[in-house]
Amino acid sequence: MKRPAAIAALSILGAAALVTFPLWSSGWESSRYATTILRDMLVLAILALSLDLLVGSAGLPSLGHAAFFGAGAYAAAIAAQRLGSDDLLLGFAAAIVVSALLALVIGLFAVRAAGIFFLMLTLAFAQMVFALAFQAVDLTGGSNGLANVHRPMLFGLDFNGPEALFELVASVFVLVLLLLWRVRASTYGRALVGLRENERRMRALGYDTTRLKLSAFVLAGALAGVGGALSGWSLRFVSTNDVGIGRSIEAFVSVLIGGTGSLVGPAVGAVVVLFVERVLPSSIPFAETVLGVLFIVFVAAARQGIVGLARAAYARVRAP
Amino acid sequence: MSSQERKSYRLSRRQFLVASSAAALAACAPAAAPSPSPTAAAATATAAATATPGKALKIGQLLPFTKVYAELGNSMKRATDLYLKQKGGKLANRPVTVVYEDEANDPAVGAQKTQKFIEQDQVDFMMGIVATPIAYAIRNAVDTAKMVFIETNAGGNSLTRDVPNCTPACKSKYIFRSSFSSWQISNPIGTYFATKKGVKEAFTFVADYGFGTESAADFTNAFTAAGGKVTGTLKAPLGSADFLPFVTQLKNQPTKDIYSFFSGTDAINYIKAWNQLGMPAAGYKMNGAGFLTEQDVLKEVKELANGAVTSLFWAVTLDNAENKAFTDAYQKEYNLLPDVFAVQAWDGMQAVDLALQATKGDTANKDAFIAALEGVKFKSPRGDFEFDKVTHNVIQDMYIREVKVQGGAAVNTIVDKIARVTDPGKPTT
Amino acid sequence: MSPEVVVQQALNGISFGALLFILAAGLSLIFGMMDVVNLAHGGFYMLGAYVALTVVQRTGQFWLALVIAPLVVGALGLLIEPLLLRRLRGRHLDQVLLTIGVSLVIGDLIGLVAGREIHSIPFPAGLDRSIAIMGGDYPLYRIFVIGFGVLLAAVFALVHRRSQAGALIRAGVDDAAMLSALGVDIDRLFAITFGVGAALAAIAGVIAAPVFGVFPGMDVDALIYSLIVVVVGGLGTLSGAIAGGALVGTADTFGKVLFPQFALALIFAIVAFVLLLRPTGLLGRVRIAR
Repeated sequence: MKRPAAIAALSILGAAALVTFPLWSSGWESSRYATTILRDMLVLAILALSLDLLVGSAGLPSLGHAAFFGAGAYAAAIAAQRLGSDDLLLGFAAAIVVSALLALVIGLFAVRAAGIFFLMLTLAFAQMVFALAFQAVDLTGGSNGLANVHRPMLFGLDFNGPEALFELVASVFVLVLLLLWRVRASTYGRALVGLRENERRMRALGYDTTRLKLSAFVLAGALAGVGGALSGWSLRFVSTNDVGIGRSIEAFVSVLIGGTGSLVGPAVGAVVVLFVERVLPSSIPFAETVLGVLFIVFVAAARQGIVGLARAAYARVRAP
Repeated sequence: MSSQERKSYRLSRRQFLVASSAAALAACAPAAAPSPSPTAAAATATAAATATPGKALKIGQLLPFTKVYAELGNSMKRATDLYLKQKGGKLANRPVTVVYEDEANDPAVGAQKTQKFIEQDQVDFMMGIVATPIAYAIRNAVDTAKMVFIETNAGGNSLTRDVPNCTPACKSKYIFRSSFSSWQISNPIGTYFATKKGVKEAFTFVADYGFGTESAADFTNAFTAAGGKVTGTLKAPLGSADFLPFVTQLKNQPTKDIYSFFSGTDAINYIKAWNQLGMPAAGYKMNGAGFLTEQDVLKEVKELANGAVTSLFWAVTLDNAENKAFTDAYQKEYNLLPDVFAVQAWDGMQAVDLALQATKGDTANKDAFIAALEGVKFKSPRGDFEFDKVTHNVIQDMYIREVKVQGGAAVNTIVDKIARVTDPGKPTT
Repeated sequence: MSPEVVVQQALNGISFGALLFILAAGLSLIFGMMDVVNLAHGGFYMLGAYVALTVVQRTGQFWLALVIAPLVVGALGLLIEPLLLRRLRGRHLDQVLLTIGVSLVIGDLIGLVAGREIHSIPFPAGLDRSIAIMGGDYPLYRIFVIGFGVLLAAVFALVHRRSQAGALIRAGVDDAAMLSALGVDIDRLFAITFGVGAALAAIAGVIAAPVFGVFPGMDVDALIYSLIVVVVGGLGTLSGAIAGGALVGTADTFGKVLFPQFALALIFAIVAFVLLLRPTGLLGRVRIAR
């Protein structure tokens, strides 16, 4: 009984430390920039976590998850601009509704496929969404991107400042973690894992596996949309890159190197991927090679991703 | 010089701890604030030896070093490094450190690196950016941070204009552009075609993204206003690797003068397909905004581009003393011909150099620095260079160039000049 | 569109489709034979193009490049399979991550070694002309591409039907485990398959270089196109790659000129449409094991 309590206490402490990062790091020389980087890492982490619901839990390898991320980003920004309101809840509502609906439409088709076909179908649909965003210049700004995205307000609370925005992103990240933790512990979450392990048996047990997959797809899409809204607010800009295959791959590799099916794995993966992609190039001109070698090494050395590696190390320490 | 410069960023607390404990171990460093890099330390030391020790000047250059535009970034970096080398690493007696960052052709990356320049490196001013969406993405960030930014490539019209709701972007007091606006390279050639060249009808064929659309619209407006008629238009979707289908369409319509906007690989593939289908023999004429036949394209397609007429503010063959000096120095340093991207970066450096001289090296007083930049006038490799005080876009001559094969090499020869082309500074219809 | 234009565009579509088939053949082979989604295919394609560029710059010999590039890249494939891929048999997600990693390394190292300028390879001498076909000029090189595609397909079909290697391949596609149980050296077979697949990617890189160019980022474009072709056609079957190439090439060509504003989405719409009607692609066979 003691360990769960300790873990809970540590988790709460960790979450509090994360959300208050700008406060306790303010003495650092590069606190502001570190806050920016960490914010972007958390946004990618939300996307990766939502994707892991498909890849890790349900065994559905989606290579088009940026479609929902981008849809959320555009939806929150466009809703705010058209309705002339910077309300946080409006932004989230728009992001969730649009990305969930999009996921429902795409999911209706995609979840009938599996494996590489699922991967290709999701990629294909995501590229169609990309094409739409690229061509609908009046709505999305097309290739020029959507500028002047306002940061949101909630009950007079202004998230315009970098610290406040970080706290918003970190809080949502913690909430998403919490939600996914609840989902995984629920009957529903276990049914998803059952899908991955043996779909036929699930069907034999009376589960409507297609509906199960579809619901996971919509939930993952909605959460990705939340991440997208946060991305738009963070950068004050939405570009077609946010619905592009590059973003989908970033999320995908974050899940894989972090460790599929583990709660914190995708988040750790996102941190590592963004560090190598965005921070490392400031010091070395061959960061992409480093990233590639990292993937190769992780596949060879760490079957369960970084988190699996950490677990194995922990087990070894405790073993004697 | 380059790799050291790229490494020089402000230390984080952790790095500071590592660095200072290493220094303590070596027992040779005083407990003063650590220098960001050996270069800067050395430069500061030399500066201290002179009468008025200049404070180190830090420039943030945001350029693509990976992905499709990487060579543009490399070219602009070469010009920047060369300029500083010629000035002994100092501008207005301030030793210069350039922090280069890769924008990787992604607005999200560009926005993040801009925050790095503002918050961590605390650069004195920013330069660079190749892709228009990235320039638009960081427009508000530099404006809010009062960070002076010299745009050295991206030509999206809105960056230096009054635009309703500032969508997708609008001019800023803090943003200058040493390159061009797409209006500047597309509109004058439209007028020129209808008036001086006597072209009655033209057909437009452009890349289907923001820049291509702007270029086609600006050309069409000018051409029709001067009495010409655009008989049709064709757009190539992004990533159209195969240009044969488009050239087939062009060949099966009657208008002979084609106005195009393509650059880089697209331009190469287009020009090759154009020749494969025998367009020159069938009487079709290739024209366009200057990037269609810029150095990067021309070195690959060579005589295949023969006869193409384009407008740009520079050509490697441009006959003036500044261009000769620049081209020679660049060739000597890198064993390469410079391209227009190098010129844009070079002129950006010249402009800030002169402005710094005017403010005696002061960048802290933003208004004074901006006023100095507004007052800059000099002879560039492209001819007379100055910023429009209203829009901060460059005012420059536009050259009508024709590709000719001279001495076995295909070059852009200057056919005509349109003087002092100034962007209208607001949306045109 | 007049009938002549339709014919010309159809030719364009077929030649583009032939190019796509050449591009996708290696990917299809590796998937069909080894059940590996090789996302390093674009990297092999790019490496082939850069090797060809180097050979052409040094010697001016396009045909020499067409021989050397697949040898170099094929050798790399022969190395990668036993060193990296072998232990991942059946672990699809790990294969995906690994091959993305290999692709990143190849792309970045090419940039560091060869620079990041954009290049193009001239059409080989003799093929840089056009000939008159059905009332219009048509580039000889495109006819060569069609011919090369047909030849490649014929060689494939012959090897597939007649030779012992073909028997092994067919058996391997059906049931690799059984093949292994029957005493075939499956490790060797897989290494060779991967090497041949990589070499095919390199050949595509050489053939496509005069048309598409040689530049940073070309690997991603090629990978997406080849994935589309094999998925539309049917994974892992030769006839599927041919059908996929022909359909995607023609549809893309007509789509670009007829509905340019939808062209970006069109081929992906085809992918979705085909997969919805036939979940294993046009000519794909149902794979029971995943």
